[in-house]
Amino acid sequence: MKKKITIGGIGSVLLGDDGIGPYVAGILDSEYQFDECVTVADLGTPGLDLVAHLSGIDVAILIDSVKNDAAPGAVTLYRKEDILRYGPGPMRVSPHSPALSESLMVADLTGEGPTEILLIGITGEQYEVGAEFSAAAKRAAIQAVESVLSELDRLGVSYTKLRTEPYSAWWNPIAEAHPTIA
Amino acid sequence: MSTRITIDPITRIEGHLRVDVEVENNAVNNAWASCTMWRGIETILRGRDPRDAWMFTQRFCGVCTTVHAMASVRSVEDALKLPVPPNAQYVRNLILIAHALHDHIVHFYQLSALDWVDILQIPKADPAAASRLGESLSPWTHNSRNELKAAQDKVKAVAASGQLGIFQNGYWGHPAMRLSPEVNLLAFAHYIQALEYQRKALQVVAMLGSKTPHIQNLQVGGVSNAIDLNSQSALSMDKLEQIRLLLSEVAQFINQVYFVDVCAVAAMYPEWFKIGSGVTNYLAVPDLPLDSEAKAYDLPGGVIMQANIAGVQPFKTASDAVFRESVTEDVTHSYYEGSKPLQPWAGETEPQFTGWTADKKYSWVKSPRYKGQPMQVGPLSQVLVGYAQGHPLTRKYADQCLQQVSAIAKVNATPAVLHSTLGRHAARAIRAAMLAELADKHWNLLVTNISKGDLTICNPPEFGSGETEGVGTHEAPRGTLSHWIVIKDGKIKNYQAVVPSTWNASPRDENGAHGPYEASLLHTPLARPQEPLEVIRTVHSFDPCMACACHTFDASGKQIASVKVL
Repeated sequence: MKKKITIGGIGSVLLGDDGIGPYVAGILDSEYQFDECVTVADLGTPGLDLVAHLSGIDVAILIDSVKNDAAPGAVTLYRKEDILRYGPGPMRVSPHSPALSESLMVADLTGEGPTEILLIGITGEQYEVGAEFSAAAKRAAIQAVESVLSELDRLGVSYTKLRTEPYSAWWNPIAEAHPTIA
Repeated sequence: MSTRITIDPITRIEGHLRVDVEVENNAVNNAWASCTMWRGIETILRGRDPRDAWMFTQRFCGVCTTVHAMASVRSVEDALKLPVPPNAQYVRNLILIAHALHDHIVHFYQLSALDWVDILQIPKADPAAASRLGESLSPWTHNSRNELKAAQDKVKAVAASGQLGIFQNGYWGHPAMRLSPEVNLLAFAHYIQALEYQRKALQVVAMLGSKTPHIQNLQVGGVSNAIDLNSQSALSMDKLEQIRLLLSEVAQFINQVYFVDVCAVAAMYPEWFKIGSGVTNYLAVPDLPLDSEAKAYDLPGGVIMQANIAGVQPFKTASDAVFRESVTEDVTHSYYEGSKPLQPWAGETEPQFTGWTADKKYSWVKSPRYKGQPMQVGPLSQVLVGYAQGHPLTRKYADQCLQQVSAIAKVNATPAVLHSTLGRHAARAIRAAMLAELADKHWNLLVTNISKGDLTICNPPEFGSGETEGVGTHEAPRGTLSHWIVIKDGKIKNYQAVVPSTWNASPRDENGAHGPYEASLLHTPLARPQEPLEVIRTVHSFDPCMACACHTFDASGKQIASVKVL
């Protein structure tokens, strides 16, 4: 049986580079066609609701902006054990923190969590309300797309590149783009 | 790979709530609720097309996505006086109900049950005795000895590993934890089962809204779900039957598990019906409209002042003139410029950060007030406002809850006990039971209307020139949400969202009156001030929609504990 795979972009599109995860998911969703075992989703900032998206699947490939010691635009890959190593926050989860490690632990309690996880972390530069992506984050997005595709190659999952217009983020500042209803 | 990562960037969190309490003689004698982050997110809407606003507002919060989408389209419809076709009302209502059921289940089990349930007592439980107890309380078929034993084994495995993982930060063994090992086990088994049922509720949102967490099917004037009972690509009878099945499974979980657990846990902590009342002014708006022009609703709204239930003032509509005229936001203790309370349409958001100053400004949250008074919002407000008006569905489940608590605790629990920390949990369960019953009603209303041949889903909006304003409200899982829009020449001129957690987490106002979180914490006894579990219980009972950091100080101001309350 084919593995069930979810590719999920995490982050708030209203907060500058924090929206880079949903942006990468948007590129993948609009410019590629995947095998039917793959779901591509903009997961926003789901907090513990992430459990619902992590349950009943075999592999999760998540793209998220991260804060680490790397330079803005760096792409760092993390696996399940890296994420679980840090454990939950000082107290139980909030509905608003992305709660990735908490959600994974809860999904594992039910025995329905993914066995494999790849977190593609993009080091952001600025998180101002309504700001455009930094140049560093935008460059990293291309690299993140390649990371997702090579993970699919490793898993033996097929996909094709579609001949479409390049994806543009609907939430860009007014001067840059006009939002359209998806 | 040794770099330390934070997977929760600070920008991700909608706003950190910090609670400072002063403790003297093991009781809280003063409290401050403050939000430590400013976002001013509404500003990005200025100049945009009002028809697109809901797509942006739905991103205000990663958990309360649909509620901000709904309030937004309603604000534009209110400004245009645009009726919404019955099919669209019912589809929206089903989404709102499914989302709320999901939210209430997650809140009780995943976000607050472990304030009352001691995980580390579970290995001592006798699964057979726990099963007998469960079966004496409910006809639920998943309270068998084997199922409870399996849940117990999960805890034993986690405990044996030496890594408590998800449970590593609880106040296990705290003297305020008092349930028997068997009750702890039953509640934990339901914690795991709850995950399956909250997912079923989300599936309904996804089927009607086409995606979660961000629904795609709204439009100003209605919805975009094509209705064709025989087509697989539209809202078909097949899909509707799947939705009905999912909703009935969720309803069964609510009635046989969630409602029962809340009554049982409450009955075992009866002193918490006397703690945590705080602000007893209550506000709720009517919701679940029954017709195109929203003249009748299935959830009543209104206002109760100073716990005077007999003096309830009902709202006729969800954008009642009295409501529109009575809401202001005060910034006396908030990090904003401004000297007098402003009506939201005229709202300003000019930051003036001073740092946390106890007697001056200390929060990024404004202080919404109703006729100048702080108001508590949330399921408790909605239940009390409905109960006061004699609303039959509210009375049915509220009375049932009070009877169950009375029977287990061998006390006489009257509606007055609801002004409390446990009252907020009880009211949420009562509301969930009401919504589960209404889900079936609104499903039938939708199918009946479609069967009559009405396939209309939207009344397209038209924008004239000139300026107009509207308010869109929704009685969201956490309480009254209102979006206030000013439209000028077809573009957004001003936009303000007054959200439930702002009402509840508001700082003091110009009169020095505490906001609901603050007031509810006063006089709370603390068994161990360095482990302020009791503060966490009360803050959690509001279902706060912010990550919050709770600092405990002794009366001399020395910090004795810094705890994140989440």
